[in-house]
Amino acid sequence: MTRYKKQDPEITRRKFINVAMGTGAGVGVLSLVSALGSAKPAFRLTAEKAPPLKGDVLVHADPAKYGQPIKPSELTELAIVAYPMGKAKDGTPVIRSAEPNNQIGVYKFDPAQLKAPTKIEDTDNGIVAYSNTCTHAGCFPKSVQGSAIVNCPCHSGQYEPKEGCRVLGGPPNKPMPQLGVKAQGDQLVLTSSFLTSPYGYKSDEEWEAYLKQAEELLA
Amino acid sequence: MNQWLDDRLHLSRLNDKFLRKAFPVHHSFFLGEITLFSLIVLIITGILLALAYEPSNSMVLNSFDPGTADKPNMLPAAYHSTLKINAMPFGDMLRRIHHWMANIMIAAAVLHMMRIYFTGAFKKPREINWWIGMLLLIFAGLTAVTGYILPYDNYAYSTVKVIYAITASVPWVGDWLAQAAFAGRFPGDGIIPRIYGYHIMLLPGILLALTGAHMLIMIKQKHTQPQYAKRLAYKKIVGVPLMTQQTPIMLLLALLFTGLVVLFAAFIPVHPIEYFGPPSASGVDNIKPDWYLLWVFGALAIIPGFEWEVLGGVINAEFVGAMVFPGIVIGAMFAVPMLDRSKDNQYYAENPTNHPVRLAAGVAFMAMMIVMSVAGYKPELIAGGLLTTQNANTILWILTFLVPAISYFATIGIVRMIRALREADERDSLAHAHADD
Ligand code: FES
Repeated sequence: MTRYKKQDPEITRRKFINVAMGTGAGVGVLSLVSALGSAKPAFRLTAEKAPPLKGDVLVHADPAKYGQPIKPSELTELAIVAYPMGKAKDGTPVIRSAEPNNQIGVYKFDPAQLKAPTKIEDTDNGIVAYSNTCTHAGCFPKSVQGSAIVNCPCHSGQYEPKEGCRVLGGPPNKPMPQLGVKAQGDQLVLTSSFLTSPYGYKSDEEWEAYLKQAEELLA
Repeated sequence: MNQWLDDRLHLSRLNDKFLRKAFPVHHSFFLGEITLFSLIVLIITGILLALAYEPSNSMVLNSFDPGTADKPNMLPAAYHSTLKINAMPFGDMLRRIHHWMANIMIAAAVLHMMRIYFTGAFKKPREINWWIGMLLLIFAGLTAVTGYILPYDNYAYSTVKVIYAITASVPWVGDWLAQAAFAGRFPGDGIIPRIYGYHIMLLPGILLALTGAHMLIMIKQKHTQPQYAKRLAYKKIVGVPLMTQQTPIMLLLALLFTGLVVLFAAFIPVHPIEYFGPPSASGVDNIKPDWYLLWVFGALAIIPGFEWEVLGGVINAEFVGAMVFPGIVIGAMFAVPMLDRSKDNQYYAENPTNHPVRLAAGVAFMAMMIVMSVAGYKPELIAGGLLTTQNANTILWILTFLVPAISYFATIGIVRMIRALREADERDSLAHAHADD
């Protein structure tokens, strides 16, 4: 049979065009993808964008008192929102507010009220600090007046800061992570960064790797 | 002169092909036109706004309140320029018209789609135009969302933060995708220029191209004919020609409608950026998306948090709530014309009551959208004491399925009743007709 098969030139031409178009489309898509690659800029870690680091001082995030160190005497059961303030390479102080997920909520409870899973060794006489970025979609929660519960305005996630910021209700599926904090004179100083992975990191390992990288880069 | 132009531009052909296009006479056919007029007004007001807007999120000195030399009052340039637009004569008004027009464009588009769906106008040969219409709806939504971010006040900041989070929640490629789409980690230095590019170039370009295609196909395929056309002249096009009958009607409608929106804008303020203030550490209370995205927001609010690891990627509640689920909804809407197996071309708009299942499915679908939008008010429902944090999700989930089911069967029941009555009427008149002989 094959011996007698007639080669139709029309078909080969069509085939040629198809192959040419296919190749053209392939090359086009590839170059588009590589061009799109340039849409994502490189990330450069600076002191302003660094995560909270050990030794940072907590300062007010509230625009009215922005940048003033938070005094231990100001603390109550309702969150005071803070940013960590560290030092740039040349020693000048920098507020790490270019990374919005650096927001920290600071509270002071009766030490006897703090229960696990709060890591008591990272609190100071009832003073406790947690990330203030909702682990669901990254909104900024607030204390509910009078009940010391933290409430996320976006999809009504609720957290209990006396118990490790565990989730009381709503869609978040993990607590907002704790940070180690200590009162030193009239200032609050961090004794650690987020103890578990904060919002934006898929796992504790990923977070720890990033933290280590940041510490080395800024040391 | 006419001859001269005609020789070059073939005006008579244009006249025959486009300007004589017949428009059906029925008010529901104006919905698409209203959508088109809104788009035109949006483009005009958008151009005017773009002339005064500064697309940058770098910090500039607040010219209204510079602060002191050692404590200067700095604001993001985009926010600052929006303040300046508000201070311009009719600047605030311009923003309001742009905003309300966008809302009305989407509302008109949704109503227009409802007409198409309930009268079966999506059937062969108009499937392609249904799909283009769906794309138009999606891109209109994206354009609206990007527009929300441009004033870069605290509200916009919270919005874009959540949108970034949703983009980043895509398994495996999320981080890359979010950084590529929003010019780096949130909030990248180039986030506003990037979104400005989307909002004034990319998305309007897509919208215009799709609109052009939508209308060319419509002209080629002709409108479905209203029922009266069947009685008047079977299988003939009935209607008024674009030139010169439909044009004055359109112009009148456009002016009347634009006037209404302007009046609207004069009295109803919108997105008060002075009130929200510049991006800040304190979130915005009761933040909500616009009404047409509230259902996605509601879905996010009632899906409990979870995380699955699949082959190194993380599938979480945000991804499912904000991407997979709306994807299913939109996919179902895309599939509508494929559910119809008719071989013949559709000439006439159908009476919805002759297609009870389609009608009931549409009503149930809208009921579901409404319930989920209400779920978006979960925090308010809890604060108002109607629900509690513990039972809110369960109750809202039950309603999400119960209300559509009830609406479905109620619609079918009502349609049966209407048809029974109609048939009885016909029998009656038939009987009387015989009696008269
Ligand atoms: S972002 Fe907090 S509950 Fe969704």
